[in-house]
Amino acid sequence: MSHPGRFGLALVAVLAAGCATPEGAQAPTAQSVVVDSCGKQLTFAGAPQRAVTLDQSSTETLLALGLQDRMAGTANLKTKVSPKFADAYAKIPVLSPKVITSEPLRAANPDVVVSSFQEQFTPDRAGTRDELAALGVPTFVSAVNCPDGTTAPFERLFRDYENFGRIFGATEKAAQLANDQRAALAEVQAVKREPVKVVWVYSVFKGVPYVAGKDGMASQMSKIAGAVNVFDDVDQEWPEASWEEIARRDPDVIVVGDLSERGNPGDKASEKIAMMREHPAVSQLKALRDNKVIEIPGIEMDPSVRTVDALKAFGAGLDKIAGRG
Amino acid sequence: MAEAALLEPVVATPKPKQRSRSALTVVLSLVVLVVSLVVSVRIGVGAGWEEIGRAAGARLGLPVVPLPRLLDSLIWDLRLPRVLLAALVGAALAVCGAALQSITRNSLADPYLLGVSSGASTGAVVVVVLGFAGSQLGLTGGALIGALVAFGLLLVLLRRTGLDSSRIVLTGVVVGQLFAALTSLVLLSSGDADSIRAITNWLLGSLASARWTSVAVCAVVLAAGLLVVWLCSAALDGFAFGTDTASSLGIDVRATRIVLLVTTSVLTAVAVAAVGAVGFVGLIVPHGVRFLVGPLHRKLLPLSAVVGAVFLVWTDALTRVVFAPLEVPVGVFTALIGVPLFLLVLRRRGEL
Repeated sequence: MSHPGRFGLALVAVLAAGCATPEGAQAPTAQSVVVDSCGKQLTFAGAPQRAVTLDQSSTETLLALGLQDRMAGTANLKTKVSPKFADAYAKIPVLSPKVITSEPLRAANPDVVVSSFQEQFTPDRAGTRDELAALGVPTFVSAVNCPDGTTAPFERLFRDYENFGRIFGATEKAAQLANDQRAALAEVQAVKREPVKVVWVYSVFKGVPYVAGKDGMASQMSKIAGAVNVFDDVDQEWPEASWEEIARRDPDVIVVGDLSERGNPGDKASEKIAMMREHPAVSQLKALRDNKVIEIPGIEMDPSVRTVDALKAFGAGLDKIAGRG
Repeated sequence: MAEAALLEPVVATPKPKQRSRSALTVVLSLVVLVVSLVVSVRIGVGAGWEEIGRAAGARLGLPVVPLPRLLDSLIWDLRLPRVLLAALVGAALAVCGAALQSITRNSLADPYLLGVSSGASTGAVVVVVLGFAGSQLGLTGGALIGALVAFGLLLVLLRRTGLDSSRIVLTGVVVGQLFAALTSLVLLSSGDADSIRAITNWLLGSLASARWTSVAVCAVVLAAGLLVVWLCSAALDGFAFGTDTASSLGIDVRATRIVLLVTTSVLTAVAVAAVGAVGFVGLIVPHGVRFLVGPLHRKLLPLSAVVGAVFLVWTDALTRVVFAPLEVPVGVFTALIGVPLFLLVLRRRGEL
């Protein structure tokens, strides 16, 4: 009996040795990471080495986690990359300056595709999530894009960091980023402020202003800073409003998005302010006459790793207006 | 068809020399089509001759090194269906244009004259606004339903009439305007910036969403539709002389017109649902081909199909490379390329 027993032991030892080799580590065993992303379950046998990001927010988030060496390409830059990430960004191929289509995406041979928006995955854009899954390419969509009705947008953003940390094997860095940003949130929240009414004017397109509604980051930023978003009753992220309606709601403070780098008429913060000063109703607002206006880069008002900068600027702006800063 | 035999005396029997010339035209145009299809697969990112050979070889069971999975899918699941779909849609639009120009006796007739494409865009907009656009069937299915609804309305409006040319044109324009207004209404009432962008792109026509399913659907419908229209070619010749002459030639004008209207509308609906409303092909290609081979539909229809196919295959190839990696809607290029080509044909014919 001892002979077969010893043989079995030897077999186990050989198998164990086999598992210790790098090939063994690649097998989808206990090593593999499973992540839920906007209705799809993604399985990663190993940390991805050729990630492709489909928009600026995803790009900057991965760069903030120091993953530039694992990125095979980026697409769809809205405005200039934050100076913090400019050097790392310059080393990654730009697959498409605007929305990427399925051919260049597949030509880049990605092992994971990261996007902030589910709408990118249509047949005429990046291809559907099912198609890519069938080819063995998981598609990560930001949790911010999939509201669950209970979690606030910032928390969903932090959930993204945590998921990226697990997928790319960078849990420490991800936890640190989330903690830093949570601390920044708490810092803004800690200041006691008057509950001022605020309107967030993101962009002006063909003379029509787009303002922050209930769903987005701006609404939560208002709450964190103790202010009230005057369009919190509108069930959209960036609903279209009219100047008259803005005037009627009489905000105490006006936040203006600066999209200078996009370069359309009305994209610069100064142009928006000039437009408001010329408008017969809006120009009469006390907020405008007393110059209670805060300028914030438009890109930071959207959910990304930079949103926390907008929150800090917003808090500082409120404090300055209140005569504290 | 019985009319064909009756029309035979009108159409002079071709002399042997003419016959060999038209045989040559057929062979030559098919060669051009095949070469265009093969060469245009090569145009775009990631697909050199070696890769195409390996992708094809692996499927034919040849001893080649298979491509990486994603590159293989780029060529096999994206590029090839895209090129084939361009050919099918180009052929369908050109044939529809040729048939409708004869039915309505209007040189400005094109496949979108009957309002079918406006119906398709209404269907597509509704689908996008309701949020089903994520699935491929969503947009295509919505467009197809919209197109068929528009065509149903057209038939209802035409049901008690003699189907004379001007009435078809006017009813088509009315239906088109109605659905265009509905599209704008839906967009303005509930579309956000994103869905408007998606729709604008789609309205100009893009082959980026081509997949094997749409190729299969288009191929079946085109084969059937082309056959029906071609069988009516004698009647289409007859229409050129006006309804009275056509009737006196033994053509059942009303029945033939209904058959042709249904066929062209279904063809257009399927084409528009697959790629959006690609302009210009259906209007200009039949004219160009008429200049080359004359007005007889027996020749005009098949050659229009081939020329339409080749034309759209090449324009689509251009959209892939000219502003690469960005893609321009193919409808933009069909006009940009088509206008000079058409003027060239006019000039060659001494009509300009």
